[in-house]
Amino acid sequence: MDDAKKYLSDRLLSEEVPVTYRLLSRVLNIRVNVAKQKLYEFHQSQNASKANSIHATYLIYGSKTEHKQPETGDTDMDNSVPEPEPLSDYAPTKTVTIVAEENLKDALAEYEEVTSFHIYSLAPFPQRDLALLSDVSKSLSEYRKIEDAAKTLDTYGIIANPQARRKDRKGRPPIPAPAPSTSAPKNVKQEAPPTLSKPSQPEKVKQEVKEVSSAEATPSSSAGKKPPATLKRGASGGIMQSFAKAAAKPPKPKPEPKPKEEDTSMALSDDGEADDEDLPTSKSIDLEALKRTRKQREEELMRMMEDADDDIKEAKKEDEQSDEEMEEASEAEPEPEPEPEQQSKEEKEPAEVISNSGDGRRRGKRRVMKKKRILDDQGYMVTIQEAAWESFSEDEAPPPAATKPTPASTPAASSTQKSKKAAPGKSASQGSIMSFFAKK
Amino acid sequence: MVKLEDVSSLLQAPAPSQKVPIRTDSTYKPLHSFALDKQRSYKQQYGDMYFLRLAKIKPAVEEVASKAWDGTEIGGELAKRVDRVLDVRQGELCWVAGTVYMDMRLKPNILEDVSKDRWLSAPISSQKYYSDDGSDQIMLEDDSGRVRLVGELLNSIPLVTGCIIAVMGTENTNGEFEVIDLKVPDLAPQPERWALSKAPSASGKSKSEDTDMTDSPSPNGGKKVAIVSGLSFSGTDASYDLELNLLLEYLLGEALGPDEQTSISQISRLIIAGDSISTTATKENDDEDDETKKRAQKKYGYDASAYNPLPSQLFDEFVAELLPSIPITLLPGARDPANASYPQQPIHTAMFPLSRAYASDPGAASTSQPGWFDTVTNPWEAEIEGWRILGTGGQNVDDVFKYVESDDRLGMMEAMCRWRCCAPTAPDTLWSYPFQEDDPFVLKSCPHVYFVGCQPEFATKVIHGPDGQSVRLIAVPSFSKTKEFVLVDTETLEVTKIKIASR
Repeated sequence: MDDAKKYLSDRLLSEEVPVTYRLLSRVLNIRVNVAKQKLYEFHQSQNASKANSIHATYLIYGSKTEHKQPETGDTDMDNSVPEPEPLSDYAPTKTVTIVAEENLKDALAEYEEVTSFHIYSLAPFPQRDLALLSDVSKSLSEYRKIEDAAKTLDTYGIIANPQARRKDRKGRPPIPAPAPSTSAPKNVKQEAPPTLSKPSQPEKVKQEVKEVSSAEATPSSSAGKKPPATLKRGASGGIMQSFAKAAAKPPKPKPEPKPKEEDTSMALSDDGEADDEDLPTSKSIDLEALKRTRKQREEELMRMMEDADDDIKEAKKEDEQSDEEMEEASEAEPEPEPEPEQQSKEEKEPAEVISNSGDGRRRGKRRVMKKKRILDDQGYMVTIQEAAWESFSEDEAPPPAATKPTPASTPAASSTQKSKKAAPGKSASQGSIMSFFAKK
Repeated sequence: MVKLEDVSSLLQAPAPSQKVPIRTDSTYKPLHSFALDKQRSYKQQYGDMYFLRLAKIKPAVEEVASKAWDGTEIGGELAKRVDRVLDVRQGELCWVAGTVYMDMRLKPNILEDVSKDRWLSAPISSQKYYSDDGSDQIMLEDDSGRVRLVGELLNSIPLVTGCIIAVMGTENTNGEFEVIDLKVPDLAPQPERWALSKAPSASGKSKSEDTDMTDSPSPNGGKKVAIVSGLSFSGTDASYDLELNLLLEYLLGEALGPDEQTSISQISRLIIAGDSISTTATKENDDEDDETKKRAQKKYGYDASAYNPLPSQLFDEFVAELLPSIPITLLPGARDPANASYPQQPIHTAMFPLSRAYASDPGAASTSQPGWFDTVTNPWEAEIEGWRILGTGGQNVDDVFKYVESDDRLGMMEAMCRWRCCAPTAPDTLWSYPFQEDDPFVLKSCPHVYFVGCQPEFATKVIHGPDGQSVRLIAVPSFSKTKEFVLVDTETLEVTKIKIASR
């Protein structure tokens, strides 16, 4: 009782904000009917000591006077066209009216019978715009308890339903509600131990960690890693390669930027993928399957792009190849240019057979991965990669190190620098997915 | 006329130790008549739908027609039955059954689109296909051919593409069929109450216990089902937020006095019949800043920044707050995030991060229990408290509405029942899945309650069939526009309209 009085006078007289019965019931953990009563008592006592200091809104429920009933009651508001009434059978109408104190008498006069009547809210000022009250109900969400829903219902005196049942959800992670509002179902979720059995979960974690790692990575020496990594994801060749590598690696439980820094020099080219692949730690069982489907998807993408700028790529490949050869000689410095093509070449290169290196040109055959498209027995188009031999001659390749950024002696500085250069250069020439679409 | 003095006694609440009423249970068995295979193909032709529909309904209409017309003599000539539309001979009095096709100038026509080298129909500009200049033609067709129907009678009977009728008359010298009389299949056989689910004798007892317990048998004490449509949760339009809140409080039994709360606890289920989420407001926004946005960043594909998650979030919160207290059935509507073509498939529970704890487990689909929060198809069929209930989100009526002159939505609903087809205009003007094996829109059995959501205003009526069928038709108004929803008493099938007003 005193609680209610104290809260109401605080809120109404000091803070001067309206209070609804629902809010009062949530704040004091009392039933709504009791809260209505408290509002009434407070209204009475306050206005007895000081007239018109508190203004109430009321909720009326009942049936309105009949002659107003035949639809004209509504139509004059929403619809000026008088509908031919006899089309519809008569159906009794009950009306819930929320009304400010000032209009109460008029509102009641429209009723033939009132079966329920109570104070809805109190405010320290006359309430002209009742819509403001909906703001109050918005604040109710704070009071939704992280408890059993049934208990909440009982606390507030809401109609309970013993039959209510939730599905048995094991291992669903708590869903982050965008608004602070939570309600019963969410509570369950939070209680449930988050396991990673659902496929959606690892993805989420992945994304989060991706964000985290990329965010954290920026200031460090791995600053250069991020742009190539993201590019690579969209780009073609490297992805499969890195998938293979990432899968081979033992899954890191927590891919903090630190471990990455340790092996920057050697594993740079996979880093972007490592983000993707290392994280779903407990998922290793279906990693294989996941990899395959993703691989297919990437290949699809790749094919699409290669169809378009095959030639450009071909040239570029050659270019990078020679780049790569140069670099391999002086590989000590961290190479922040993990071009996707570079990786695919890494595989091609060992299988190179030089047949003629006279007159300064290298000619020969090399093994390349060729893509083959077949229809499988289910009628799906499947792209598979096959090793094939392809002849090449070096004169196709543009001069090697011309475009390469000069390797600086300090890894940190150079990597940031280069990554900046590398990223735009690459996106322009060799096609991340974004650049592909931008060009058209 | 109520005076303040009369009711001020109600302000004095009774003893606060009052028991909280317990909501009655809901006997509920959804029928998956309109569920589509998840792996469905859209490659089929639509023609099969008409064939199936004709094959299924023709026997019924022929039975009605032969009962009515056998032995009918006009001008000394005996009306004789003709099997196919093409077999109609000029000058002979005969009757024939077939599918109606409406040729209307204002109706979108795919052939026209193709011939004009357009592949998508232009957005429908007119509210109606009907034009009153008499240019609309009514055809009767079957698998053999098509004949144009003329006659005074046709002006008085509304017809739409896809309904199956039988007509009696003669072919005149212009090759048109002069209609003297017209028959529709009329209401399908109606199942008994409790045909599919068992009448819960135990729960009936507990219900009476409830009423005993609360020692105030409410004047309309039977179980009820609440139907609401067009909640239109919006991210921008807050003009009816208060009403939505009151609806929530009403259904939860928070608002109103203890006696009314007890009678509200008899509402055993809430059905949300379409258009729960409003998209119009976001569209308006798009118009303004889309131009600038598009120029700024021309991205391919879907621009996630244009998506406003707030409406579905608000709706989710609304549903999640109700669910602990009342089971909910959710039908998609025209503007909901479901497929656009009829039959709309259930809104995915991924839309409801808070509420989906109450939904049925997708893994354990088609098991015994329907979800407490049941997202269903549109149209949707179920047995609630033993009554066969058919409900739609309103697109079928809205589409039929375009064909006919009148605004009588109940009349259209009645006609659909009598045509035995709940979406006759599919697939002509109502987008539809191309069914191959079965036309689920054909009403094999007549429902006891047929409700249609998202209608401009509330209306209800009971229609009767020749074999003693009776159907309660309910046009459920859009809550966002009218602030009204509907309670159906599941004993008497009486309907009460609840209006929420503020002043």
